[in-house]
Amino acid sequence: MASTEPAAEPPVAGSEAPDRPSDEAILQQQNQIRAEQAKVSEYVGQEENLGALKAEYENGNQNFVQKIGKLEERYRTFRRTRGDGNCFFRGFIYAYLEGLLQNSDLAEANRFMSVVQSWKAKLVEGGFQELVFEDAMELLLEQVKEVTKASDQFAQEKLLVNMRDDMVSNMIVMFLRLVTSCEVQRREDFFFPFILGMYDEPPATVELFCQRHVEPMGEESDHLHIVAVTEALQIPVRVVYLDSSGLPAGGGGGGAGALEASCHDFVPDSCPPGTAPRVHLLYRPGHYDILYAKSG
Amino acid sequence: MAVDLGRIQKELKEIERDTASGVTVHLKNNSLQHLTGYVPGPKDTPYEGGLFAVEINLDNGYPFVPPKMRFINKVWHPNVSSQSGAICLDILKDQWSPALTLKTALLSLQALLSSPQPDDPQDAVVAKQYISDHETYKKTAKYWTEAFANPNATAPEEKIAKIVEMGFDRAAAISALQEAGGDENAALEKLLG
Repeated sequence: MASTEPAAEPPVAGSEAPDRPSDEAILQQQNQIRAEQAKVSEYVGQEENLGALKAEYENGNQNFVQKIGKLEERYRTFRRTRGDGNCFFRGFIYAYLEGLLQNSDLAEANRFMSVVQSWKAKLVEGGFQELVFEDAMELLLEQVKEVTKASDQFAQEKLLVNMRDDMVSNMIVMFLRLVTSCEVQRREDFFFPFILGMYDEPPATVELFCQRHVEPMGEESDHLHIVAVTEALQIPVRVVYLDSSGLPAGGGGGGAGALEASCHDFVPDSCPPGTAPRVHLLYRPGHYDILYAKSG
Repeated sequence: MAVDLGRIQKELKEIERDTASGVTVHLKNNSLQHLTGYVPGPKDTPYEGGLFAVEINLDNGYPFVPPKMRFINKVWHPNVSSQSGAICLDILKDQWSPALTLKTALLSLQALLSSPQPDDPQDAVVAKQYISDHETYKKTAKYWTEAFANPNATAPEEKIAKIVEMGFDRAAAISALQEAGGDENAALEKLLG
């Protein structure tokens, strides 16, 4: 599982409560883990053939191999994201911006920019301080303007460079987290059942959930985050769930008995049912990467 | 990663404007990454009347990583190390989010002074006393507040008044005096920058 949290806290020398490492020690360990991950993978990797994914499982669980084989019928390539707990948000926005760029979709870009701008007032109303998100919002809008200017190789490279930049990339992830949090809190009645019973002490509220599991960087995303952000920005997303389970995917009805990764479409209320997803993500327990559908 | 200086500057301006919050932040050696915060002790607690200085260091990753904060004054509190001033507070660790600011963090410290969490201690000795001998805890905390966080110890009223007369803000005068260890001229030099 890709996690930014140390599984076990290191013991710390000292005269005080011995099971409590200092803030410094915890931060230091977190930074160390981040630095190690940064060495292994970029925030957003290069496009790779699905064969590279299959190779990971060749000597392991054959259910994965079968399912990836099936995926190859519909998907061309994939792109890894760093497993730092922000992979959903980062993969989602990268794939979306890349789609705008490749399709030179000016109408969609304009729609998206006006939705993003509409969140300014909603965030302020939701109690977020402008100084916290205004620069991040500008950065996101700049990226959109940038990708609609040209759709050549250079523009594509530039998007990759920007989304690998600590500041730009994290600011945009932060903005998406705040929008997600705000959406969840604005529609408390709808989202409360999702978190009901998550913890007793203190009792679960959507506000507390957002403070603990949506707003902090590195908190992993779940069904709830995806529903909220796709709804908030009105971007349909398909998530393909790849796990080791051995049951054939229901409803597919394809090859008899063939194992197939199940998928789930997140279609915002404003889009007609069946709207084609703009972003395809591959979920493996604990992690999201980007998928590229075959054209046609 | 380059630190987001723009964000820090905006935060400092906002804290300066919002005098109602009671907390203040001042630059240390003209660096935006090394600051000193001041938190007034909350009313009806053993910390009332104290002004608590907090060392604030901002890593390059701020605001994506929490600010490093510790008390400079000695504080007798279950969630503060009586030795080092290290603070046990979730938002300074894994519960930090970039939606929070230095101001909200300092206000959270003030809230922590009001409501100690002895079940999640930083200082086991203080926590034990808090639970088993609450009266002694209160007396000790009050004594430490008077001894180590008394704004008048290094910033007596007459010195503050003199600096305020010269046109400086009262809170700034107090913190400058504290930083200068009570030396009025050194404090003035700091204020005049």
